Amino acid sequence: MDILENREAWAEHFEANWLAHYEKTGETDFKQYQYVRNEEVPSGKAIDLSQSKLLLVTSSGAYLRDSQTAFDAPNPLGDYSVRTFPHSTELTEIAFAHEHYNHQYVDQDVQSVLPLRILENMQAEGIIGELAETVVSFHGYTPDVRRLLDETIPQIIGLAKEQQVDAALLIPV
Amino acid sequence: MSLLNRAFEIEGIPSVMTTWRDGVARMAQAPRVTFTKLPRGATLGAPHDVAQKRRVLEATFELFKQEAPIKPVILDETMDEA
Repeated sequence: MDILENREAWAEHFEANWLAHYEKTGETDFKQYQYVRNEEVPSGKAIDLSQSKLLLVTSSGAYLRDSQTAFDAPNPLGDYSVRTFPHSTELTEIAFAHEHYNHQYVDQDVQSVLPLRILENMQAEGIIGELAETVVSFHGYTPDVRRLLDETIPQIIGLAKEQQVDAALLIPV
Repeated sequence: MSLLNRAFEIEGIPSVMTTWRDGVARMAQAPRVTFTKLPRGATLGAPHDVAQKRRVLEATFELFKQEAPIKPVILDETMDEA
């Protein structure tokens, strides 16, 4: 099964509409954007989370403010790179580079989108077997789905396999 | 994120997602997802409301207990927007 079933048709529409408009005017117009559509849903096994290693993935644009380069949030074409940081990171060390959501909630409480301490508590209670040591973060504004499929997703799947996780929790913004 | 939800499942790694953005996730055919009415930027709940975030996470983790695909589960979670 494909992650995106009709990639060529999507790309054709993207190039002829959203991208052409951007290249002509320098403006992004999401009335001309086609969100992805699939017909089939992937099947998968059930698991016991209390016996599983769980990877946290966030698209909030989270990064380590003092030691990592921020995502290229102002870029109208998006940023397709990935950051990782330890699950044990202090919440005060986290910053968010992402201009497509209001930061009023994460400014008050990082765990509104990135529940590092809550998940640790759930691990301690035995609800989660084990948390993967590394959290994976990307920038959820990715208008060119081809780059998401070819660059971002393979990196994230690779990181999941490196850590030998059994399951993933995906938290968009 | 819906495509990543599909990618993990295709790779044999079950993944769950929670979002307020139900239309996009439905069109993309995300395999294991819960929907809330929480606002953008507070996917798991109101700032400092740990109980709400726990409810959202625990309900989303329930999706691991079944084989995918699973019909999206709608959670009655909302908050007052500033």
